[in-house]
Amino acid sequence: QRVLLLVASDVDALCACKILQALFQCDHVQYTLVPVSGWQELETAFLEHKDQFKYFVLINCGANVDLLEILQPEEDTFFFVCDSHRPINVVNIYNDTQIKLLVKQDDDLDVPAYDDIFRDEEEEEEESENESDGSEPSEKRRRYEEDVIERTMRRRQRREWEARRREILFDYEQYEYHGTSSAMVMFDLAWIMSKDLNDMLWWAIVGLTDQWIQDKITQMKYVTDIGILQRHVSRHNHRNEDEENSLSIDCMRIAFEYDLRLALYQHWSLYESLCNTSYTSASLKLWSVQGQKRLQEFLADMGLPLKQVKQKFHSMDMSLKENLREMIEESANKFGMKDLRIQTFSIHFGFKNRFSASDIVYATASLMENIEKEGPETTNFIKALDSLSRGNLDKLHQGLDLAKKQLCAIQQTVASCICTNLVISQGPFLYCSLMEGTPDVKLFSKPVSLCLLSKYLLKSFVCSTKNKRCKLLPLVMAAPMDVEQGTVIMVGIPPETESSDKKKFLQSAFSEEKAADSTNSRTLHNHFDMSIIELKTEDRSKFLDALISLLS
Amino acid sequence: SERMRKFKNKGKDAAALRRQRVEVSVELRKAKKDEQILKRRSVLISLMEENLSPEEHKKNEIIQMSLEEIVGAVNGSDTELQLQAVQATRRMLSRQKDPPINQIIELGIVPRLVEFLSRADNAALQFEAAWALTNIASGTSDHTKAVVEGGAIPALVSLLSSPHMHISEQSVWALGNIAGDGPLYRDAIINCHAVPPLLALVSPVIPVGFLRNITWTLSNLCRNKNPCPPLHVVKKILPVLIYLLEYEDKEIISDSCWALSYLTDGSNDRIQIVVDTGVLPRLVQLMTSPELTVMTPALRAIGNVVTGTDEQTQAAIDAGVLAVLPCLLRHVKPTVQKEAAWALSNIAAGPCRQIQQLITCGLLPPLVELLDKGDFRAQKEAVWAVANFTTGGTIEQVVELVQSGILKPLLNLLSSKDSKTILIILDTISNLFLAAEKLGQTNKLCLLVEELDGLEKIEALQTHENNMVYRAALNIIEKYFSGE
Repeated sequence: QRVLLLVASDVDALCACKILQALFQCDHVQYTLVPVSGWQELETAFLEHKDQFKYFVLINCGANVDLLEILQPEEDTFFFVCDSHRPINVVNIYNDTQIKLLVKQDDDLDVPAYDDIFRDEEEEEEESENESDGSEPSEKRRRYEEDVIERTMRRRQRREWEARRREILFDYEQYEYHGTSSAMVMFDLAWIMSKDLNDMLWWAIVGLTDQWIQDKITQMKYVTDIGILQRHVSRHNHRNEDEENSLSIDCMRIAFEYDLRLALYQHWSLYESLCNTSYTSASLKLWSVQGQKRLQEFLADMGLPLKQVKQKFHSMDMSLKENLREMIEESANKFGMKDLRIQTFSIHFGFKNRFSASDIVYATASLMENIEKEGPETTNFIKALDSLSRGNLDKLHQGLDLAKKQLCAIQQTVASCICTNLVISQGPFLYCSLMEGTPDVKLFSKPVSLCLLSKYLLKSFVCSTKNKRCKLLPLVMAAPMDVEQGTVIMVGIPPETESSDKKKFLQSAFSEEKAADSTNSRTLHNHFDMSIIELKTEDRSKFLDALISLLS
Repeated sequence: SERMRKFKNKGKDAAALRRQRVEVSVELRKAKKDEQILKRRSVLISLMEENLSPEEHKKNEIIQMSLEEIVGAVNGSDTELQLQAVQATRRMLSRQKDPPINQIIELGIVPRLVEFLSRADNAALQFEAAWALTNIASGTSDHTKAVVEGGAIPALVSLLSSPHMHISEQSVWALGNIAGDGPLYRDAIINCHAVPPLLALVSPVIPVGFLRNITWTLSNLCRNKNPCPPLHVVKKILPVLIYLLEYEDKEIISDSCWALSYLTDGSNDRIQIVVDTGVLPRLVQLMTSPELTVMTPALRAIGNVVTGTDEQTQAAIDAGVLAVLPCLLRHVKPTVQKEAAWALSNIAAGPCRQIQQLITCGLLPPLVELLDKGDFRAQKEAVWAVANFTTGGTIEQVVELVQSGILKPLLNLLSSKDSKTILIILDTISNLFLAAEKLGQTNKLCLLVEELDGLEKIEALQTHENNMVYRAALNIIEKYFSGE
């Protein structure tokens, strides 16, 4: 039985896909891979393949909508869904025939109880009886008591039940958040089947790191999952330290590290990385003159000569590199950057290849959303997927280059948005809209890049303003999507404060039946993330007004 | 089936022309049986909500009593306990699933319940007893019998004039159930002088729910034959029915129409009494109602009228029935098509001036359409209409019928499985050839029949298992198609 593999366009999905592909290869399962970037593509792909396939695997898509409703599959069609999108649609959860969800058991799902949201519809027809068929009236009629009392009671109970159901579902569905990385779930599967390999483990690490970089999970969840992976890492990489030198060219080794939270620094210069990392840039407020001065002071405090800092990291003096992490951390503490070091993993293979997990995430994401057209729609996806294999160093390096450009573009856009006061408070949320013609604006027509930009912007904005309330506000960001079709893409980003246990955005505000419908805006929920929508440029202000009144 | 043919005399075939609806009522009986299970409930809600006094709501903490306790209390002398017991009984009888009617009757408390109806000092007890009896009477004939033999009819009739509206309404309902059982109990009620106080209740000030109940009970008093309800009673009820037809409420109108359809389903003198009231124009108007519940009984009543004499049929034509029939012949519901075609067939059985009116009012095109594409049962009625037309119509009228394109669908129906229908069609074809002969156009008609593959079909019928069909087909072939 051939399987159809439908994979969303995010790094975690790609990693999960790699693991599953390896498992399929192991078990000689035939499959066809189709990348899907949104609901429309998912539906089209399903319609095109539903006659040839009975088994569909969905990665990072499909969990948060009623799949049977939108795809209308035949009864002998089965879906295996591995998706970190939360909340999971309740129908998917309680369907025990056609929908099989791959979820980690310890994931806290808070699913409403079955009896609270479903009930048999037996009494439904009572209201509409065969009144109007024009047949002769009955000769005798009984007078029912429950016409009044029991029926009223039943109706009242039903109304109460429905009100409660609405409340429960509202609570359950109002926030969008993410569960355990799909790559980790897939790795768990491989591990349970005793088919886990070091490569798979690495993809699981990259998947988790993607969630962290995309700010999809809390720090707490990240650290917990790192701990889980760390146990697997030591299981798979248990060689003694002194054996390390004997590594052959095609051996790989994964190591746990407390590394610097500086984007791509090992493939860049330390200076550029400091400037283009959201954490340091926002903390030092690099968009201002004082910020630039602070950066100089920071470097001076570390005692690193500017010349060394500005040259490629791998050409830096070995003596400087030796205690670099400790030195930077010490100075960073003085400058209020207490979290500059993070727990992560790195991979070593060949003689000189060393990458940290975040390097891979940035590179892969940039390849996936590359705006230079190099072929058909799926080219970027395939290339990004390939870059995850150890043998494709050239693709990985191309990805790293693209990622550096992307980070620079983000940094410049953030700086210009803050310096020109483009972030405005709309009352219940912050709002920023990128104009057509802004440099690099095309880059931000893609969802992952736009989300990354929005998150960096919100972080920086919160640091730049004295208004404490902004910490509690979500950000809504709009960017031109398709100039010819006159569409914009809009994302909602949760507030900066980590007061709650989940990274979540009030998705109900974005849902079709709310803001969009109340304005008749032509919006399209084409993205698997419910906090991303597309709409016509001219509907933008209408939609915003509705959003304001909805959230106020 | 002696009733199958009840016609006026006209020509040698007249006996086969006007047909009253016997088949129709057989089918309806069947339909009704299924309906018993789904008695109308939604109708009752509004009514009950209006009538429930606050005091009654209060008493809704349900007192559970065993059947033994009920018997004891009902037969005892404690009025409070009596009320509780009757209430408990009523409650059991009112529940949705399997009301224990048999058990309650077997307790032997029905006569006591009837006694309680007369306790004018205790309205609550009267009401509960009336309700309980209503529900017992709503069961099978045996159940109703138990209520009647308990002496309920006179007691209920006196309650019609109760000062408490909810009590008189409940007795109206109970009497309706008893009357619905059949002509025997219907007349027993009438003989207890129920009709005058019942009619006296009808007034513009009573709630619509109450009026619906009265209308339904009145319709049951008009219902059933063998015998039909007494003439003097019909004459008293008719003006009230006509008054009720002016209400806006579709259920009141519907039940009134049904009552009129029962009253017109009988001998011509019964039809005449209804025609004389001048209600036909209103009935024709109601035939155009978008409500199926109104249109169906109105069509039925008018359909019954045109089974009557030429004059009675003319009264229906004068009331405008020919103008509304085309629409009904094209109705989406097969049963409506069939009833409309049945009415049309009886009009076509009239004198040629009525046939002429039928042509003038444009009934031929919808007739051809129905014959061509209608529901099969409606097609059968349409075949009758064509047959009657060719029997009673003038040569010119028959020519017009052929020119309207009737032949093709008519000949197509020769492939029908129903030999009765085939026979009528063959008869009709013979009639057409008789007309053609008179015009000297036999050959033309032969060609036309051949062209439409009719000859082939008639030839095939020579091997038909039914002897009469075989002979009729052979007859046509020999007469018109044998001589090359």
